[in-house]
Amino acid sequence: MGALADQFGQMNMGQKGLRLFTTNLLTSPPEPMELRQPPPEIVLPPNSCLSQSPFANADSSYQRSTLNAIPTTNSLLNKSKIPLGLVITPYRSLKEGEDEVPVVTDTVIARCRRCRTYINPYVQFIDGGNRWRCCMCSLSNEVPQLFDWDQVRNQPGDRWARAELNHAVVEFVAPTEYMVRPPQPAVYIFLVDVSHNAIQSGMVATATRTILENLDRIPDDNGRTKVSIIAFDTSLYFFTLPSGGADSSMLVVSDIDDVFLPKPTDLLVNLQEARPALESLLGRLSDMFQDNHTIGSALGPALQAAFQLMASIGGKIIALTATLPSVGVGALKNREDPKALGTSKESGLLQAASPFYKTFAIECSRAQVSVDMFLFSSGYQDVATLAYLPHYTAGQTYFYPAFNASRTEDAIKFAHEFGKVLAMPIMLEAVMRVRASKNLRMSSFHGNFFVRSTDLLAMPAVPQDLSYAIEVQIEDTITSPFVVFQTAVLHTTCYGERRIRVITTALPTTSNLSDVFASADQVAIATLLANKAVERSITHKLEDARDALFNKMVEILSAYKASMTAAGAGASAQLAISENLKMLAVLVLGLLKNVGIRQSAQIPPDLRAYAQALLTSLPSQLLIPYVYPNFYSLHTMPPECGTVGEHGVIMPPPLPLTSERLERHGLYLIEDGQTLFLWIGRDAVPQLVMDVFNLPNYEVLRGGKTTLPVLDNPFSQRVNAIIQKTREIRRGVYHQHLYIVKEDGEPPLRLWALSCLIQDRADVLPSYQQFISQLKDKVNGSGY
Amino acid sequence: MAYVGWLYLFSVLMAAALLFAAVFFMIMFSDLESDYINPVDLCNKLNQFVIPEHAAHGFLTVLFLLSGQWIAFLLNAPLLAFNVRKIMKQNHVYDATEIFRTLEPHKKEIFIKLGFYLLSFFFYLYSMIVALVSDTP
Ligand SMILES: [Zn+2]
Repeated sequence: MGALADQFGQMNMGQKGLRLFTTNLLTSPPEPMELRQPPPEIVLPPNSCLSQSPFANADSSYQRSTLNAIPTTNSLLNKSKIPLGLVITPYRSLKEGEDEVPVVTDTVIARCRRCRTYINPYVQFIDGGNRWRCCMCSLSNEVPQLFDWDQVRNQPGDRWARAELNHAVVEFVAPTEYMVRPPQPAVYIFLVDVSHNAIQSGMVATATRTILENLDRIPDDNGRTKVSIIAFDTSLYFFTLPSGGADSSMLVVSDIDDVFLPKPTDLLVNLQEARPALESLLGRLSDMFQDNHTIGSALGPALQAAFQLMASIGGKIIALTATLPSVGVGALKNREDPKALGTSKESGLLQAASPFYKTFAIECSRAQVSVDMFLFSSGYQDVATLAYLPHYTAGQTYFYPAFNASRTEDAIKFAHEFGKVLAMPIMLEAVMRVRASKNLRMSSFHGNFFVRSTDLLAMPAVPQDLSYAIEVQIEDTITSPFVVFQTAVLHTTCYGERRIRVITTALPTTSNLSDVFASADQVAIATLLANKAVERSITHKLEDARDALFNKMVEILSAYKASMTAAGAGASAQLAISENLKMLAVLVLGLLKNVGIRQSAQIPPDLRAYAQALLTSLPSQLLIPYVYPNFYSLHTMPPECGTVGEHGVIMPPPLPLTSERLERHGLYLIEDGQTLFLWIGRDAVPQLVMDVFNLPNYEVLRGGKTTLPVLDNPFSQRVNAIIQKTREIRRGVYHQHLYIVKEDGEPPLRLWALSCLIQDRADVLPSYQQFISQLKDKVNGSGY
Repeated sequence: MAYVGWLYLFSVLMAAALLFAAVFFMIMFSDLESDYINPVDLCNKLNQFVIPEHAAHGFLTVLFLLSGQWIAFLLNAPLLAFNVRKIMKQNHVYDATEIFRTLEPHKKEIFIKLGFYLLSFFFYLYSMIVALVSDTP
């Protein structure tokens, strides 16, 4: 990283040892490997941390700041033009081999009396260790009596071994003061669309089979989990699941204007007790409606029914639907209007068409009910409106456009993702709050939750691996040498324990602009900008969102040029930025070209809305490839790639995203975390086609969605290993479809794959070179 | 006292009521900011008053038009147009899911309305006195 920079740039020394390297964007092209670098180092002043533990500061996968050195004043921050914010993934999943989050089980929870901060590695012990000074507000607090007592062995304990003083990410078991009511069991209610479309697409059969296969994986450690199944078309179908018995009976409610529960008991049942009845129902459900010719959906009434069933407990509604809601409350119209696409009216299609999905979301949030939407329609389904419900109830939207289970790949993808959602441990009845040192204020919030008061985020259920972005304001001059951000999520685990997960990040402060630039985290900035852009596209126009992105990039470059280079306000032949922000411009270009933001009159509103839902919920690890995909050359990869090395399968080196790298005889892999494309050039030699696809030559190869065979030759095995690794390497539930793309194949698929190569020019969208020169003209013309 | 005097007397009372409503909105917003009220209750409460407030102002404006009080009418027409436009675009109600993001514009709007009603109050008072004086033989 350094060698490249020295070649082009000048060098400055930061105040506390962070070095600022300047690079010239005009002469140094994007280097994909740099996106895999960790964020700039957090250089805290000596003795700010009580612990020597390497885990005393939160890992960037849990919580990262756009700046790893916080400016002491708002004017210094404004000078840099870099937005200050946090990107938080409080409940991220653990990959094999990762340590569990340590748990403090003795319910001794030391908190600041004034600002309610939880004790952490950045407080100070004073008065002979009898008191501690809060790292946020400096108040001196008493150390709780039992803090130094080992309750397990009933003997004096070692304070310095306590998890909360050594780990930045810890969980406290909460005593009863933290409960409004006893911890509730996990509740899952499945709303299954059984209308004609849903049955014919095979969605119902696949969904019920997946639930059946995953019954053992649904979190139920203490046997309290409750489930219910409600089917719906334009009527509602309830099923009684008597405990112990194997027969269920169906109760039909056709009055959808005033939803009522047909029976007070046996509808919401204990998973273990009703297991036989549930299994038999799941086995039959699809067949029961096999000849259903009803078209239309009463999704709104079905949601209300589920709500009535669970309102006293809370939990999760999982709605699976392949139809635009057509009757009852929450009915929607097909508002897809091809003439509006690409115009200023387009953002209207991304707003909620019916207030029901917002007001109902608030009701859900109050009753601790979260909703996940699984959408399957082949026609317009108004994903934008439906996605509001998961958005405000802390759920997630999953979209399988034109789902057809007779294509094995469709069935596998959905079953894999749905299975993961079912098996996922969730946090129930959660609220999240972020506290920060004096003079720092959380000013706006992005992500799936309901903002319940100025800084309290209500999340009825927190799924794993969702990300939240919070903008931070500097209200007054910060005088301390470092600041602390602390995220606390009070929740009930899905096995009935009240807990608080606390994530603490300490960052140094600086009064030096070069430190601000040198500590900027381009990945966090891009994640925050993605959230802001989506918000703007909905409240204003898509065009405004794109302008804001472009202007933000111009501002940052102008600020850098004015204050960090010799050119100052004058024109410059260079486009300078610090080495650690070198990829920001191409990430912004990637955002401008993302389906959720892109200028185009061709993107169906449903796809756009879904892309926006992803942009505002994916953690950085998944968001970055979604914005700047990975591109590998497989036919020329070094021999060790695809074989198992020290850290698992060795991946090929990523290439810059430009079609200049595509050779006519080559085989390439392009992937954005959601889709995998295997691109094959038209002059591919028959041996290559034989080795990978088991077909005699390029001509007989068919493009499209596929499953790659594993053949008895090393190359096929290496390619499969790379695809496998790509599918597994990231957190989250997504299982990527694999498409074979022939260089001279069907144009839509080709264009889709090529749209991932964002450094190319596409239609009206500029190439990276054009984009950089637009930026340069703006920076030189704006005269900062 | 001629009908113009009565009209302005009525207007003075209406302006006072509207002024009172605007102050109430301001107080509620600052309660929200200090966490004394949650966004759902706030929106439910305020939304009850939005249509009556708009209707009262609209009624007053129409009265001025019908009675040929051109200056008073022109003074109120822009606000009426603004309100009508908001209702047409369906964004006159406060949305609890968005309230924290839109709080600043809402506060600004209420602040401007407050100033406007205050000015109107004195203008109507003045007009009423003028009408009364010219009425006296
Ligand atoms: Zn404190």
